[in-house]
Amino acid sequence: MVFVLRRLLFTIPLLLAVSLVVFALADVLPGDAADQRFQKNPSLKQEWREKRGLTRPFLVRWGEYVARAVRLDLGESYWDDSPVSTDLWRRLAGTFELTVCAMVLAVLIGGALGILSAMYPRTPIDYAGQIVALFGISIPVFWLGMLLLTFTINVLGFPFESNRLPHWLEADSFGSHLYLFESLFTLRLADFLGCAKNILLPCVTLSTIPMAVITRMTRSAMLEEMGRDYARTARAKGLRSRKVVLKHVLRNALIPVTTITGLQFGQLMGGAVLTERIFGWPGLGSYVVEQAVDRRDTPILVGGILLIAATFVLVNLTVDLLYALIDPRVRRQA
Amino acid sequence: MRGGRRWRTFCRNKTALIGAGLVALVIVAALGAGVMATHDPETRVEASPVAEGAERAGSVVRQPPSADHWLGTDENGFDVWSRLVHGARASLLTALAAVGFALLIGVPIGLWSGWKGGLFDAAIMRAVDVMLAFPSILLAVAIAAVLGSGSLTTIVLAVGIVMVPTFVRQVRAAVLQVRSREFVVAARAIGARDTRILFRTVLPNCIAPILVLATLSTGIAVLDAAGLSFLGLGPPATTPEWGVMLTKGFKYVQRNLTWLYLPPGLAISLTVLGFNLLGDGLRDAFDPRSSR
Repeated sequence: MVFVLRRLLFTIPLLLAVSLVVFALADVLPGDAADQRFQKNPSLKQEWREKRGLTRPFLVRWGEYVARAVRLDLGESYWDDSPVSTDLWRRLAGTFELTVCAMVLAVLIGGALGILSAMYPRTPIDYAGQIVALFGISIPVFWLGMLLLTFTINVLGFPFESNRLPHWLEADSFGSHLYLFESLFTLRLADFLGCAKNILLPCVTLSTIPMAVITRMTRSAMLEEMGRDYARTARAKGLRSRKVVLKHVLRNALIPVTTITGLQFGQLMGGAVLTERIFGWPGLGSYVVEQAVDRRDTPILVGGILLIAATFVLVNLTVDLLYALIDPRVRRQA
Repeated sequence: MRGGRRWRTFCRNKTALIGAGLVALVIVAALGAGVMATHDPETRVEASPVAEGAERAGSVVRQPPSADHWLGTDENGFDVWSRLVHGARASLLTALAAVGFALLIGVPIGLWSGWKGGLFDAAIMRAVDVMLAFPSILLAVAIAAVLGSGSLTTIVLAVGIVMVPTFVRQVRAAVLQVRSREFVVAARAIGARDTRILFRTVLPNCIAPILVLATLSTGIAVLDAAGLSFLGLGPPATTPEWGVMLTKGFKYVQRNLTWLYLPPGLAISLTVLGFNLLGDGLRDAFDPRSSR
């Protein structure tokens, strides 16, 4: 428990530092949002800057931002002065849903391939695993997305919509922004299938990198554990080979696999931006790139990156908690 | 003697040789782009009689592959094959420069951090934690936006800066493994200065992991650079660079103009695959325990 609390406390300075870095980055950018917004009548620029308090010193503005951010208020857009929190949360939900689906797919297929490759080395399944592990990290995701898109549209004639919702649904028919999960848990099966159909292609595309990494990690961790003394002992006392692998070896190999899965999840939240761009998926990364970089909308840039960094930190914390679940030795230490 | 054994291990590793071959191919294309290109990569080709199948009669734009233009022409009427080989030069140089930057900054910091320990080490490791908490591609996007998008230098710096924390961490880990070995203690005992021990004794013994990391990172850098181009932060649209070509080709996916989006994507994939195989091979050669 103490360990968890310490980790939680450490996330606070970490997120502060992240916000400071992004704030500073946005500040040193040449030009500002006012230049973009009042291109037509530059006389309004200075007045607007005064009104939004942009003429105050850097640290004062950052302090004010942090004071509001702890109350989950991420400020107002520089582009149209509307609050950014609603949009950012909805976009975060989009990226989160996509990332979770991609990770589930990656863990299921990658884990299975990794275990089978380790159990049957130098067989076709092992070679398949190694090919997945190699090509997954070598092919640019956006190119893979393009290929999947052409294949489904031109060859299969699959009715792909580049939207999270199928055409017969509106966003306000849901209580949350997690459309896929909500329709599943409230058993609206037709709606669920509609959402699932639209998430399928981006999910497969996004899952390739973590699938490759997990396959590789699982295989090497399994092989390493299989060579240990306890595995030999288990086999020597007459346990069936499959039981040794699935009950003894797998449990020990799970620790490094969990670590890498957590890290991949965090990377994916931000890395999803390329996949989101290809499939027109309304996620956080693409929103940040569109709004923040093109329009110089600092509140969206800082808010978006903070949300992603916070998710990353939370996921890693969850992983640390999972260790205790998987490995009794960790539990006893803590 | 040990070098020879490593070399033989490496040569027996078929996948590593394939990787080396792919990397060599890209290097040859990059060096010999001027000879291998059939046209100038940034000049509109002249109208040729091969207008059959072209969009409009006499049009030089978006021509399918022909004897004259092996991979067709793009939307500006540039020869795709020539752009592809010139792209090898741009993409390889970008990736190597980015990795070079990460090495230049990351290796000294990692060496010093691992060697000195204490407050300096703690501060550096916290900074690394902060940088690693950023989603790397978004950090690169933000850096590219600060530096002003639209040039290869920007991409080099954005990709390079994002890689620095990984290099610091790996080099530090390597130093920690070496620092208490006898030969380092001996160097210290005879009174060698810190910088001398670091660069003459510690660094040579950390070369293997650094070399492996640099090789694998070059592949990642090729991917990241293409990704930044795809997000619109890359060099101008006429530059012969794989990421740019792929971005342009994306517009023609629905119309199935394969020669515009298949070649650059395949080129990137094979290059990255080459660096990954080569890096794995080097790791196996240097560290026999990690081999299967």
